Amino acid sequence: MLTPKRVKWRKQHRGRMRGRALVGNTLTFGEYGLQALEPVWMSNRQIEAARIAMTRHIKRGGKVWIKVFPDKSVTKKPAEVRMGSGKGNPEGWVAVVRPGRILFELAGIPESVAREALTLAASKLPISTKIVTRSSEMGAVS
Amino acid sequence: MPKSTDTLSVATRSRTGTPASNALRREGKIPGILYGHGAEAKAVALEAKAFEELLHAGGRNRLLTLTIDGTTQDTALVRDVQRDPISRRVVHADLQRVGATEEISASLPLVTTGVAEGVRSFGGVMDVIVRSIEVTGPANALPEQIEVDVSALGLYGHVTAGELKLPSGITLGIDPATVVISIEPSRVEQEAVEAAEPAVSPAETPTVGESTEPQA
Repeated sequence: MLTPKRVKWRKQHRGRMRGRALVGNTLTFGEYGLQALEPVWMSNRQIEAARIAMTRHIKRGGKVWIKVFPDKSVTKKPAEVRMGSGKGNPEGWVAVVRPGRILFELAGIPESVAREALTLAASKLPISTKIVTRSSEMGAVS
Repeated sequence: MPKSTDTLSVATRSRTGTPASNALRREGKIPGILYGHGAEAKAVALEAKAFEELLHAGGRNRLLTLTIDGTTQDTALVRDVQRDPISRRVVHADLQRVGATEEISASLPLVTTGVAEGVRSFGGVMDVIVRSIEVTGPANALPEQIEVDVSALGLYGHVTAGELKLPSGITLGIDPATVVISIEPSRVEQEAVEAAEPAVSPAETPTVGESTEPQA
C-alpha cells in the first residue's frame, strides 16, 4: 500500500479542495487514463483496491501508472470520546484529488481491455470518473 | 511531406479579461492572441467549431493563412492551445505570425509504425517516453509528424532522438542521446518486487530527524 517513507510532521491541517486540478490533468505516460470529476480525499486503500482490480483484469502485459500519491495524513478521535483534548491520532493516508486529476494511466494493451480495467478501477473509487484517451485529449469525442 | 496551408478567419476583439472572454465562449467563439514579427500583439476571436475542426484535421502544426476581419491576410502557426481539463474544449489559442520560409522551432508529434519484436515475441511493453520532438527548420518545410519504425526493436531496445530520420533542412532541437522510445518487460515481473514492500501504519511512520534504526 502507498505510504510516505517519512514525514516532517505527523498531523496536518485539513485544508480545502476548491477549484480544479491545475497539475496532473493530462495524460503524460500512458495511452488511456482515469480522470476524477469530483473532489475527494482518496485513501491509500482505495488507490490500492483500484490498482488491484485493474492489474487483475489486465492479467499480464501492459503498464500501469498511479498518478496520485497519498501524502496527507488524516487523524481520527477514538469512538465515544468527548470533544476537546487535542487532535486525534493519525489513522491513514489520503491523496487530495481535485476534479480533472488523472488518477491512473495504462499503456501496452488494447483499448477495449483498458476501458474494462479502468471501469473496474472506477467502481472501487468514491467519486465519479471518466475514461480519457490520447485522441480524446486532443479534443475528439471518445 | 511539406505542410499544406489551411485558412482560418479571425476577428479582432476590443474587450479583454475574464468576463469578456467568458462571454465570447458562450457565443461559440474562442479568445486568442496573435503575435510575432515585432508587431504589436492583437487580441482576436476565433470561431470555436472551425478551429476545433482545424485542430482535428492536423492543423496544430500546419502553416495557416489568417483572414483578419475579412480583409487583411497573414500567415501564422498555432503556438499554444489551452484546454479545459475536464470538457477538453479549447479555452484560448496563441497564434504566431510566421513567414513561409522563416526558420522556426516547432514541436512535432512522434508516430510509431509497426509492432516491436520485443512486444510481439517477448510480451514487452513499448514505452513512448518523448511524444513530441523539438525541431528547427523553415516553416513551410516542417513535416506534420515524425515517423519511426519500431518493428526491429527487441526487449530493452530503444530509439534515441539522434536516430530519428528528419527531412533535409530540419535540425533536431533536443539532445540526440535522449531516449524517445524503449521496450520494457511486462508488468508481471515488476509486480513481484512491489509485493515485497511491507505496509507501515500512519502512527509508525518516522518523522524527519527521528532515527529509523533501533536504539541499543
